[in-house]
Order: sequence, then C-alpha cells, then structure tokens
Amino acid sequence: MNKKTIFFTAALGIMLLLSGCSQNNSATTSPHSEKIFHYGTMAYGTAMQDAGINPHDTYCGWSTVRYGIGETLFRFNKEMKIEPWLAESANQLDDYTVKITLRNDITFSNGKKVTGNDVKTCLEDLLKKNDRAPHDLKIKNIIADGQTVTIQSSEKVPALLHYLADPYAAIIDMTAGEKDRIVVGTGPYVAEKVTDTEIDLKKNAHYWGKVQPKLDKIIVRSITDGDALSMAMQSGELDAAQGLPYASLSNFQDTNKYKINSAATSRVYQALMNYRTPVLQNNNVRKAIAMAINKDQFVSVLLNGNGVPAIGAFPDNMPFGRGLKAAPYDPEAARRLLAQAGYTERDADGYVLKNGKPLTLRWLTYTSRQELPLLAEYAQSALKEIGIKLEVNATDNYKDFLKRNEFDIYAKAIVTAPTGDPEYYFTSNVMSDSPYNNGAYNNPDVDHLCDQLRNTFDTNKRNELAIQIQQHILDDNAIIYTAFLKMSFVMKKNVTGLEAHPSDYYEITPELDIN
Amino acid sequence: MIHTAKNCRFFTLLLLITAGLLFSLAAEYILPFDAYSQNLLQALQPPSAAHLLGTDRFGRDMLARTIAGAKITVFTALIITFLASSLGSLIGLFCGYHRNRLVTILLRLTDVFLAFPSMVFAIAAAGLLGGGTFNAAAAIMLVSWPKYTRLVRTQTLPLRQTEYIEAARMSGSSSWQIMFFHILPVIVGPICITAALDIGTIITEIAGLSFLGLGTAPPAAEWGSMMSGARNLLQTAPWTIFAPGIAIFITVSLFQLFADSLRDFFDIH
Repeated sequence: MNKKTIFFTAALGIMLLLSGCSQNNSATTSPHSEKIFHYGTMAYGTAMQDAGINPHDTYCGWSTVRYGIGETLFRFNKEMKIEPWLAESANQLDDYTVKITLRNDITFSNGKKVTGNDVKTCLEDLLKKNDRAPHDLKIKNIIADGQTVTIQSSEKVPALLHYLADPYAAIIDMTAGEKDRIVVGTGPYVAEKVTDTEIDLKKNAHYWGKVQPKLDKIIVRSITDGDALSMAMQSGELDAAQGLPYASLSNFQDTNKYKINSAATSRVYQALMNYRTPVLQNNNVRKAIAMAINKDQFVSVLLNGNGVPAIGAFPDNMPFGRGLKAAPYDPEAARRLLAQAGYTERDADGYVLKNGKPLTLRWLTYTSRQELPLLAEYAQSALKEIGIKLEVNATDNYKDFLKRNEFDIYAKAIVTAPTGDPEYYFTSNVMSDSPYNNGAYNNPDVDHLCDQLRNTFDTNKRNELAIQIQQHILDDNAIIYTAFLKMSFVMKKNVTGLEAHPSDYYEITPELDIN
Repeated sequence: MIHTAKNCRFFTLLLLITAGLLFSLAAEYILPFDAYSQNLLQALQPPSAAHLLGTDRFGRDMLARTIAGAKITVFTALIITFLASSLGSLIGLFCGYHRNRLVTILLRLTDVFLAFPSMVFAIAAAGLLGGGTFNAAAAIMLVSWPKYTRLVRTQTLPLRQTEYIEAARMSGSSSWQIMFFHILPVIVGPICITAALDIGTIITEIAGLSFLGLGTAPPAAEWGSMMSGARNLLQTAPWTIFAPGIAIFITVSLFQLFADSLRDFFDIH
C-alpha cells in the first residue's frame, strides 16, 4: 500500500467518523427559514387503527384531532370536563333532544364557513361509517338550521355531549370530500400528505382561533420502534417524541437539552378473560389468575414508576373510579382457589393438573404498546408461580387471533374514559353486545346496570352506577385491570406549547412553537 | 513438530467447546440462580459480586440466562448443522455419483435455493412458518443444506472416474456401498470443515431471527431474543445486551477457530 492510498483511506475514515458523530440539527430550519417541526410518535399507524385522518374511519379521528387537523364540537379540559369548542353552547330540550349552537366564526381550512348543515352532513356520514358512533350516539335525527343543530336520539343518551367530544366526531367538510386520504378540517394545521407512516402538515391560513398556528410545517412520523424513536430524538432528528419506552426516559434527564411533560391518563393495561374458554368459565380459576399478578411491582419496576396500579377501569381521581375492591395479590390463596377448581395435582415442572392435563392458557397481546409484552412476560412468570402455564402470543396480527378466537386472555391498553364519562367504556367493552367485548363476557346484571346508566342524567347517580358495574366486573374477575399509564412527551428545550393531556387527544395545538 | 502444535490447538479448542457445552447443560444445577425465576426487586442490577453479569429488567440473573442461552442457541445450531450437512451431503453424493433426470431436478432445486441470499430467505421462511424455535430452525435448515450438496457433488465427480471406484464397481459393490464406503470417507474432511465453519453462521442466524421476533420467543433465554428484549436498555442498562452479545461473539469465534484448526487437523490445503 503506498502513502497516497493510506492517506486517502485515513481521510475517508475520518470523514465517515465525523459524519457519524455529527448531530442532525436540521429539524427546525429550512432554506427559506420556515419553522418546521419534526414530531415522532409511536401512536400512529395501522397497528393502532389510526393510520389516516378521516375521523369516520376506525380510530383515525384520534389522528385528526391529535395532529391539529380537526376539532370537535366540545372538548375536554384538564379536569376531563367538557367545554365548548366549535360549539358555542348546548341546550338539553328534553331527555331525547339537544340543541347545539355553533360559533359563528368557524371556518374550514379551505376558507368555507362552518354551518349547522355542515355539522349535520358530517355527523350523518360518521353514523354511516364508524362502528362505534351509532352505538354511542343513538342519533335518530339531526335538524340543521343556520348555526344550530338539533339532535334527536332514539334512546336517552345522557353522555351525548361527551360523545361529541370523542375524536370520531371531529367536524370535516363533507363537500370537499376525501382526496389522497386528505380531509378538510377546522384545525390549526392542514394535511398535505397522508400515508400509513407519515403525515405532513402546513399552517392553516384560515384558522379561526385567537391563537394562530406558529409553525409553517409539521412532519409527523410514525416510529413504532421505541429505540429508533429514542435515538432519533437524541440525534436531534426530532423536535419532540411521544410514546417513548419508559426505560428510555432516563436518557432525557438533561434539562439543558430536553423537557419532559407528563400527564396521568385513563389508559389502562387490562387483561380480559375469554369466557368461551371452558376452563375460564370457572370463577375460581379467573380469580386465581387475578390474585397471581402483583400490580404494585409491575408498575414500580416494569413501568419504572410511570403509572399507577389499577383497581377498576377508571383512575381514582375520577369520581367513578373510587370505592372499588379487586382480588388482592395473594399467590397462596390463588393456589388454594385452583385446588378448589379441581387442580389438585402438579407435574414435575410445578404446573397444576386436572385429569392428568396441565392448565395451559394462551395470552394474546400486541407489541405496539411497549409495555404489553413486558406485562405478558411478567404474567407468564407470575402464573407459573401458582401452576398455570401461559403461552404468550405477542403479535401485531392480534386481530386475526381475536377473530379466530385463538386466545384465552387478551391484554390490551385502552383509554377507559375518553369522553370523561364512564358510559363509553361499558357500552363498548363489557356489555354482552359491546363491539369490543372480545371475551364474550355476559352478566345480565351488568347489562341491566349499563342500561340504567344510559338512561340516567344525574351525575351522582351515574357515578354510583359506574362503580356498581365495575364491582360486578371485578367480582366476576372478567377483566384484570393492572395499571394506568402516564403519557409523556419528550421535547427539545426550545419547544413550547406541547403538553400532555389526560384525554390523550390533544397534541399539536396552535400554541406549539419552536423558539 | 508443527503438526503436533496444530493438533494441540485442535484438541485444546475441542476441549474448550466440549467443556463449555457440558457446563451449559449442568449450569442449572451448579449456579445459584435460575435463568427463568423473576425477582422484580432485583431488576436491572449492574454487574456485582452477587450477579456477575448483572440482572435484567425482570431481576433474572444475566449469567444464568446467558449460560442457559448456550443450551438453546448452540445446541440448536449444532442440530441444524448436523441435519443440513447430512441431508445436503446425501443429495450431493447422489447427484455426484449418478446421472439421471432426478439428479437434474435436484441440482436445479439446489440452484434455486442458492440463488437467494440465505438470511433473507430464512427470514421469509420463518415469517411464513410463524415464530418459535422449531420454525426458525426449519427455516435455517431450508437455506443451509444446498451448499453441502454443491460441495459434495464437486468432490464426488472426479472420484467416480477413479480406478479404485471402477474396481469396486467391477467387484460387484452396489452404488450405495460405493458412495458410503468408498467415496464418503475420502471427502468427509471438507464436509466437517464446512460444517464447523457453518456452526458460527447458524448461531448468528438463529440469534438474528430471534432478534427480529421470528425465532425463540421470550422468556426463553435465547441470545438473540435476550438482545432484542434489552434493546431499549442499551443506554441505561448496557449489561443486559452486552452479556448475550459477547456470548455470541465468543462462541462464534471459538467455532471459527475450531473450524480452522479442523482444516489443519485434516491437513487440507
């Protein structure tokens, strides 16, 4: 090798090394001095059923509202109480009718004024397309008159205004239609490009709010690998990130470079029992499973303290999440329950046997929520302690397994009070005809109480009913609620206006800025 | 003298590998910690006198898990290597000795398998078959046998024309007798060396598939799976990923050195 070759090789090596070490600081600048915000999230994508921004499709409304494209008639404040947003006021005319008056100054991002008729056509399309909305809203008729919309329900819907704050009810311009997956909303930002992995946004020039959007462009990137997200944040490629694994948060403790903003949410990790599985029809077995899981340790160790052990479906800072009693952590009692269920013998590995057969269960979960596989692995060990063999299936094709009924326990993360009201969770998850009652749970008392809840307008009475329903679920050990999660945003120090909200709905707002 | 030194290196490496494998088998009876018992109160402990390689996020001893990992990763690799080399060699021997339509079909089939990059093919096969150690092993098996077919056929072709094979044929030996008793013993050296070299590759392939979630699933202490599970702890608890990573590095290096010394042992140049 001559000297020239050595010199060039060394120079090339140094260049590669330096380029590898350099920070990508292009996130906030562009050739035309536009303010561009790069945002990485784990919460957008096909696995989360929110890839897209048409709020009427599955859970895409979350993306519509989260990324500042669309807004709802009502929204939640930080105490999870509803307040008007696109609406000015609402008047309950009778048990079945509510009259909503719209603000007069709202425009879609295409400059068109939002009228009662726009809201009517939008809600009608929602009812046609969305699987949850008709079940929640029970709308019989919508009458539009100028800036008012009168909604008549087929049944009493005390939580109607709460449901109208659900992201699926984001108001979009139906006359503009949907082109290249883009819809026209009223939010501070307008979508320019929508794919399954990225949403490119630009400032809404016609935004109606007092606070005008401050950023010229926002690029929302779905990064479903927690490490990749963490590294992208550390390398400076992103200005902010949502959904980082809890284990990675300690990488962002340098307050000279980063800020972390967290909020407790009603997102719970729950494990529901499949009642179609014969062995799980025995409450002793279900209770034994519930008693084998140490929620406190799961939260403190595996969630790094970024959560709260759960008892019922709602956190106890909500009036309908208090006074509940769940099966306590007690592995010894769990073993006794299994013995009562007929599992009196054990094999060489310590698994319980009945008629010579071990008690083996299939735990289905998915990986897009980082801590779900951890919960599965922890549960596998915890259940082994009491003699139950758990086969974990952590897959993002979990829906296929649900459809084929190939599971015994299904663990998922779910926001239980997305409407700040308990009814939504019960009607969509625990009633015998609920669309997400994957475990075929069927308790006539629960159904009856849910029906009562649907017809009760008094808030205190509603809270009482919600507590009773949860207690039934806990007594049946139909669902194990393990922990409520904290949601955290990590951002560069110069980012302002990005705050975690307990509803998990509002991320990109007009206040968001880079200084 | 040189020959003795080479033999000494071969036997030393063989001894090291055998001792390592025996230790991994006996580890669960020797080590104070179980590779699978969780103790959340001891989670993410850095290496210390109590836990030489630290603990993972479930409080499991990393040393116990790394050694238990050898049992899964290395023994699976050994089984795959044995099966792939046996199957591939059998087909190669057959294709090298005979000339008929079946040989043509088998050779084209081998070409098809060799045409794909093996790891990509293994990922696709494991994806189709579904996760699990068995399916990952089957996928790797599927991509590993053709090289032996090619090698053995190439070695067999010149031998079938030799005088001693002609003599065996004339003395009434059947095709199978000639292949197994007169050709195979001559070419067994290159097969063993290729197989020994392959063990390291297969270990990395098994670990790779598990790392991608297509192989052994948690909580099994498979090295790739352990590394995958510890990915987001790289910065905060690096020992959880270094322990299986270094185990892979040492094991693969050992098998590569062993393959090299095996070539010297067989005196093939």
